[in-house]
Amino acid sequence: MVKVGGRLVREGGIPEGILSDLEALSKDWSIIFVHGGADLVTEVAQRMGKEQKFIVSPDGMRSRYTDRETMEIYTMVMAGKVNKQLVASLQARGIKALGLSGADGMLLKAERKKKLVVLDDRGRRIAIDGGYTGKIKEVDSGLIRSLLEAGYLPVVAPIAIDDEYNLLNVDSDRAAAYLAGALKASLLVYCTDVEGVILDGKLVERLSSFEAEEELPRIGHGMKRKVYAALEALSMGVREVVITYGLGEKPVTSALHHEAGTLITP
Amino acid sequence: MKKASCPECGAEIEVLDDVIVGEIVSCPDCGLELEVVEVEGERVKVKVLQVSGEDWGE
Repeated sequence: MVKVGGRLVREGGIPEGILSDLEALSKDWSIIFVHGGADLVTEVAQRMGKEQKFIVSPDGMRSRYTDRETMEIYTMVMAGKVNKQLVASLQARGIKALGLSGADGMLLKAERKKKLVVLDDRGRRIAIDGGYTGKIKEVDSGLIRSLLEAGYLPVVAPIAIDDEYNLLNVDSDRAAAYLAGALKASLLVYCTDVEGVILDGKLVERLSSFEAEEELPRIGHGMKRKVYAALEALSMGVREVVITYGLGEKPVTSALHHEAGTLITP
Repeated sequence: MKKASCPECGAEIEVLDDVIVGEIVSCPDCGLELEVVEVEGERVKVKVLQVSGEDWGE
């Protein structure tokens, strides 16, 4: 399972190192690709005149506020522009890529958030309507397994569907974790724009789940999301998670051989 | 200070005068998180806060 963050896919494709790495690895491995693309959603929304609102949780996590109109733009960009550009880049390397969102085939079922707790301008906690975000509660791994067996490399956009058939914005790190967990993946690699988990200015090469949990308060918010997701993936049966720099040469192979990034184990 | 009553343990809760609907307060006795649903004069109505964890999408 390979997840590539929005900052790496924003220029209209996958970094060259990841592409050639996947080209080589896909001959021997079953690979699933999950992508982000949040920055592109913001960019397109702004071009369409829809200013994006960002909210801050009491823990300091910053997120997009997904109202109905934003969800429409989010779907256009994530399941359209980003997903299909990635599929095209992979196909140009001879990889049988197939793009889909978590709503297709009910791959990712989620529960819509009723309320979110945010900090207002006064720094006080307020409960607001949850908008179109959700928490994944079920994965139909059968669909992904059939695609893998047929030789496809599924490229999954972080969109889920709820019981009332609403499309929901779900965190792509979490989407990758749940998919990896449902498939009991041997490895989940988060390709990011940093080397891995950095503590006291140094890369942490290895963490157990227990150590990762202990260090969470010292980890910055962007990375904290990935570490949370990694811990969830491990608790669902994934064997190893590596958070690594996705712009170098062979980032996935290096993660596979524990030669780069931060390795998190159960 | 305005006053509210905890729906769970009945304790009286003091709430800041500039409280607004949607704001979250904690019960000093049972620690429960409560959401303000109405502000009427000195009385504030609250209900038990129901939210899921922090997973707000991309």
